[in-house]
Formats: sequence, C-alpha cells, structure tokens
Amino acid sequence: MDEYSIGVLTNIGLFSFLALSAYLLLIAGEMSFGQQAFFGVGAYSGGMLTAIYGVPLPFAALAAMASGALVALLVGLPTLRLRGLYFAMATLAAAEMARILFELLHFQHEIDGELVGPDGTQGFRGIRWVFERGVEPLDYLAIVYSLLVTVLAAFLLVERSRLGVTLRSVGADPELAASIGVNVNRMKLGVAAAAGALAALGGVLYAHHNTYIEPRNFDIMLGVHSLAYALIGGLGTAFGPLLGVLVDLGLLEGTRVFQGYRMIVFGGLVAVLLLFRPRGLLDERVVHWLRARFS
Amino acid sequence: MAALLEIKDLVTAYGRIEALRGVSLQVAQGSITCLLGPNGAGKTTLMMSTAGILRPRSGSIRFAGSEIAGAAPHGIVERGIALVPENRLVFPHMTVLENLQAGAYQRNDRDGIASDLERMFARFPRLKERSAQEGGTLSGGEQQMLSVARALMSRPKLMLMDEPSLGLAPLVVEEIFNIIKELHRDGTTIFLVEQNAHMALKVAHHFYLIEQGRITFSGDPGSLAEDEVIHRAYLGSAKA
Amino acid sequence: MLADLIQNTLDGLTGGAAYALLAVGFTLIFGVLRRVNLSYGAAIMFGVYFATWTSLNFQVGLAALAALTIAGAVLAGAYVERLCFAPHYRSRGSPRASSGSIAAMVASFALWMQFEEAAILALPKHLYAFPPLHAGEPLRFGQFFLRVEALYLLLAAVAVCALLHTILYRTRFGLAVRAVIDVPVAAQLAGINVSWVFVRIFALASAIGGLAGFLIAASHEQVTPMLGMWATIKGMLAMMLGGLGSLPGAVAGGLVLGLLEAHSQWFFGPQMRDLIAYLLIFALLALRPAWMTRWTSTRSAS
Repeated sequence: MDEYSIGVLTNIGLFSFLALSAYLLLIAGEMSFGQQAFFGVGAYSGGMLTAIYGVPLPFAALAAMASGALVALLVGLPTLRLRGLYFAMATLAAAEMARILFELLHFQHEIDGELVGPDGTQGFRGIRWVFERGVEPLDYLAIVYSLLVTVLAAFLLVERSRLGVTLRSVGADPELAASIGVNVNRMKLGVAAAAGALAALGGVLYAHHNTYIEPRNFDIMLGVHSLAYALIGGLGTAFGPLLGVLVDLGLLEGTRVFQGYRMIVFGGLVAVLLLFRPRGLLDERVVHWLRARFS
Repeated sequence: MAALLEIKDLVTAYGRIEALRGVSLQVAQGSITCLLGPNGAGKTTLMMSTAGILRPRSGSIRFAGSEIAGAAPHGIVERGIALVPENRLVFPHMTVLENLQAGAYQRNDRDGIASDLERMFARFPRLKERSAQEGGTLSGGEQQMLSVARALMSRPKLMLMDEPSLGLAPLVVEEIFNIIKELHRDGTTIFLVEQNAHMALKVAHHFYLIEQGRITFSGDPGSLAEDEVIHRAYLGSAKA
Repeated sequence: MLADLIQNTLDGLTGGAAYALLAVGFTLIFGVLRRVNLSYGAAIMFGVYFATWTSLNFQVGLAALAALTIAGAVLAGAYVERLCFAPHYRSRGSPRASSGSIAAMVASFALWMQFEEAAILALPKHLYAFPPLHAGEPLRFGQFFLRVEALYLLLAAVAVCALLHTILYRTRFGLAVRAVIDVPVAAQLAGINVSWVFVRIFALASAIGGLAGFLIAASHEQVTPMLGMWATIKGMLAMMLGGLGSLPGAVAGGLVLGLLEAHSQWFFGPQMRDLIAYLLIFALLALRPAWMTRWTSTRSAS
C-alpha cells in the first residue's frame, strides 16, 4: 500500500473518533457543534506530555482522554438544562473559546537546543514521539484501527445492553425517561464525559500522526463536519458515523477523481441523500431490518 | 338528504401506529352530526385528516362530490370546510380582530369581510369588547368563541368542531351549544366531535361512536337510550 | 479615555448595524420556518462573489453591484430553499416532523460547502478588492470620526426594520406571516398557504442578507471566502443575544454584539474580543434568563 492510501486510511480512523463522539451525544438527544474542542484538548495535552515531558504515548493518551472528559464536564454542567439549538449554540461558543485559548497558549521548553511546545497561532510542531521510535506509518495505522475497533466493540456491547436502551430513551423522550426513574442529568453528564474522552483520544492520535497541530485545525468546520458525518451515516448504529466519514474522506478524497470539486460533489450528494433518507443512511429502521435478517 | 361529507375506509397512521383503521361515515347536508368516543379513539386524528393537516395513508374523503383526502389545508378551506380545532388554537400574540382577519385570509371581498366582522361582534359581544386584546389574554370560553368566529369568517359550508366544550364551565358550554344550534339554523352543516356526550346528543341529528380507530356504532339520538352499553360507557364519563 | 469610549461606541454601532442586518435575515428564517439555515452566510457570500467577479471583469456602478449581490443571494437562497427546506414542508402523517428539521439543517450545511468551494474555484485568491462604498474622508465631529459607510449601514438597518414592520403589521401577507410564526397549524386552518409564505420569507431574508453582504464588502473594500462562515456565525450569535425568534431582539442583539466587540477589542485586543463575545453567549445560555428562552415556552427550538 502506498503512503498516500495509508494516510487516507489513517485519517478516516482518526476522524471516526470525532464522529463517534458527536454520535454518542446525538443518541442522548443533544446536538453538539463543539466536539472539535475536545479533539483539540486531547491533541494539545497529549502532545505536550510526550514532546515536552517525554511521557510515553499510552500514558499520555490516557491523560489526554481524562482531560477531554474533564473539559467536557466543564461545558456539560452549565448547559445541562439546555436543549436543541440553545445547546448547540452553547457548545459552539465553548468550542470557539477553546480554540482562542489554544491561540493564546504559549508554553515552550527548550529541549536539545530547540523550543518545543505550543506557540499560539504559530502552532505546535515537533510532536514526534511516535516516529522517533521508528514506528512506520503502517504500524501507526494498525494502532489507530485497533483502538477504533476496541471502541466500536464497546459501542456495540453497550447498544445491546440496558444502558444503551436507557440512553436512547433519554435521547428520544427525556421527560418520559425521568418519569420512569432514570437520572437524566447523570446520564447526560456521563455521556458528555465519555464523548469528550473519545474525541480527545482521536485528538492525541491525530497530533502524533501529523506531528504538527495549530488552533486552526480545531475550528467550527471540523465540528460541523463531525456532526454531519454522524447524521448522514445514520444514528441507528455506531457504524453510521463511520460510514459518514468513509463517504467523505474515503470515497471522495481517496479516489482523487474529484480533485478540487470534492466539496461540491459531497455537498450535492448529501443534500440529495437527505431528501430520501432524512434520518441518515443507517437509521434505526434499516438497522432493525438488518438485525432481523441476520439473526 | 345528500351526504355533504363522505368518508370511506380512512386509514391515518403516525409512523407504525394506526390511529384510524378504516373509518367510514357520512355527514348529511344541513345536519348536525356528532362523533363520540373516549380519549385516544381517533377523533382528533379524523378531524385533522379531514382538514388536511394530516395526510391519510389510504381511504377516501369526499366533500360535495369531490375527493379531498390528502389535499393541502389551504385547499380544504378554499372548498368550504373550516375546523375549530381541539384546544382552540387561537393566535395568542395577535389581537382578537387580527385573529378574525386571519380567518378571512382567503377572501378578497373587503366589504363582505367588514360586514362579517360586524356580525361576529354582534353575535359574540365579548369579542367586541376585547377586539384589541391579544388572543392569549382571553378566558377559555372567550377563546372558544374566538376560535368559532375565526372559522366562520371563511363562510364555510361545513364546520368541523373538535371538542368545543373541553375545559369550559357548564354555563359557557351551554352558550357554545346554543351557538351551534344557531349556526345550524343559518344553514351551516356541522360535524361535531365531543366527549361531552350528554350535550352533544341534545343537538345532534345523527351520531357515530369511534373506539380505537374504528366506528363501532351509528344511529340517531333516539336509539341511544336503548343501548345500555353506550349509556354506561359515555354518559357516565361526560362529567368533565 | 471618554473620547476613546465614544469613538469605540460609534465604531461598534457600525459593526453592530451589519450584525443586526445579518441577524434579522437569520431570524426571519428561524422564526417563520423554525429551521436553522446554516448556509445563510454562504448564500450571501455567493452573491458578494458574483458581484465581485462582475466588478473585476466589467465596469459597473455601485448600485448595479448592490443589485447583483442581492440577486445572487436570492438565487442562492432559492436553491437552498428548494433543495433543503421545501421537501419537508408537508409533513408525512405526523404533525411535527422534527426529523425533517435536522435533515434540513444538515443539508443546508452541505450546500454551504458547495458555495464555499464554488467561490474558491471561481475566484481562487484569498483576497479580492471590492469597490468602495465611499471614496473619501470620514465625517468629523470634533475629535470623533464616523465613516460614511457607517451611515449607510445604520440607514440600511433602520430602513430594513421599517420595511419589515410595515410588511408585518400593515399588509395581509404580514398578517399571514405573523400567524405562521404564532401557531403554524392554526394558520393552515385559517386557509393560509404556509409553503407559499415560506418561499417568500426565504426570498426576503436572502435579499436582506444580500444587502448586508454588499454593504459589508463595500465598507471593508475586500472580500474573502471566509465571509460565508463569518456571516453565519455572527448572525447566529446576534440572534441568540437578542433572544431567539424575535426581530427587534435580532436588531438589539446585533447592536450589542457590535458594541461589545468594539469595546473589547480596544481594551483587550482582537482575540479577547471574540473570546468575550463567546463567553457572554455561553454565560447567558447557562443562566437562561426568561427573555432569552421565551422561544421554548411556546415553540420548539429544535
């Protein structure tokens, strides 16, 4: 496999974490324009830990996930009672605040004669922990996908469990769920933290793949894109958001046919698709049908 | 008497839940026809399907000989049907006068509209008092009158009324039913949905019973006393 | 110090007038159709780019440019309306098809992507000059400056508000619009053709957006492809600040945002300027004062 294809596949994997993060919140009934903030938090915190303090990537990744979860709670607590567009705007505002804070973040240490660390709008270069240890792009692809598969397995397990059903019920009708004894607020906060950790995991992996990140990477476009991936791929299963990412990054980018026209084609495709499948490709009905056929 | 409204095998569904499972009934021209039934039986769904707000899945609705099932709501109003919906649905942030003007939206005869407005105010003096007040500030009974008056502004041939007595005090309920009788005298055909079977049967010429999306009885009020089951099921629960 | 305050206020009102226009257009669509149109700013950018392309290849006067911008925005808006929103107007068997609102929003985002790429393909440079609205000195009031462009913007904002007020309260169409905003089902029952109202409101909102886009481009004397996102975000923020779904609120929200930005930028610099605005929005949403959330009490924001 050539390097370009490996790169495309890795990107698909990385952004899948972000799409799954948006998907998780959507299941719980919340539309977030701001998951890219946690992606960024993971990228910056993980990057700083490995590049400045030499922390091994696995531990840095765990720490990144923890910070992602923490920041998600910081955003999730004040917005607990918000619904619909109000919640969406709050997440957008929070994410933009995070991005501006990244722009204001200057934290560099001198290591081996050069300055390492985030330098505001100039970005953060030198996140080379992975490649300094001789990890090949193909190896990194395997790492990303093993983690992704683990996450997917967890999703599929949860979806079949009582927790999963409760979660979807909270998303569909919170008042009803509350009336049968579900602690809606606790579920929402739990989901927010999990989604934040998930996005952060994607972020730290992204940072180490690119070796360079800047605040501009984590802008609103990324956030709306990840939301769109989940909504286009369908909310019936965790494979939905993956399908969304695959269609955009994989089909269009990977085939290079639509060079320069990618967005025009993708945009048109999506708009037409939504006319026929307003709930996405793999919506609840399709998933039920598929499950019935294969069981 | 000819049937002004004829519904046949109407099926309306919400996703996979069928609210109407093949409803058939007729409303004779110039009559007051009543549809009785418990909550959730499909009464409002039937009204909304006839008014075009809901699209039936199958079946037919014929009005004055033409098929109207699935037509858009404004087209239904154009043909001469007006619905006084459940819960009144007045425009809370528009004045009483504007509510009435909205009812006349499709009309272009300014003089006709002006004289109709005067007639509404004569018939409903309390609306005249409050003509500059916002709809949301009116009492339940006044809102009901406003809702009826708004529907009348389109000069309908057929008035659909969905539970006009809901949540109103007995005296107000009597007023409403007097208005229904007046409208009938003036030549409007009325199709009335009610839970208050007692009052409804006093004015109806013919009535239907609907349960779980199906018509289970059809007859005139005279036949009611003979049917113990209906008597127990509905007259008892008529006390709101 | 006081002089700075006053000058900043003047500048803030100018920026605020632009935001007010954007917010008004956004609110019209949100208030009447109850849908979020994410491509609102992008359609405006399409109109602006259309005018820019024309000005680069032909000699056109300012009035013609304004007309071209508005026409372009209305055209783009019609494309969005037909493809994203119109298919969901007639609900299929359920009174409130909220899945339609999400689908419409995502579709409008998809079209935003299209507009942005199309703009970059047509005019690939990051920056293009746009003919100035006023070639000359700003007005002086003692030690204070007011750019003439600011007057145009403020005038346009006032004119648009007056126009909308007249339409809404003095015409039959306006009565229908207010009825649809109030209780859509009741409006349908009164015989109002709601789809027809939607189409016209969309066109009106697009035209207002186009006017805003022209004035903004002509007062900055330059255009970039980021205009689309910028206009959408500012429009949404201003709309939120003024309380969702209210036209006077949209104007107030726009002006407040403009003033806030001007003063924040003076004291804290451009990055803090945006940070403060977002912080304010977030705090307001977290605290949920009654005037901000009146929308949800009678209607749905999702």
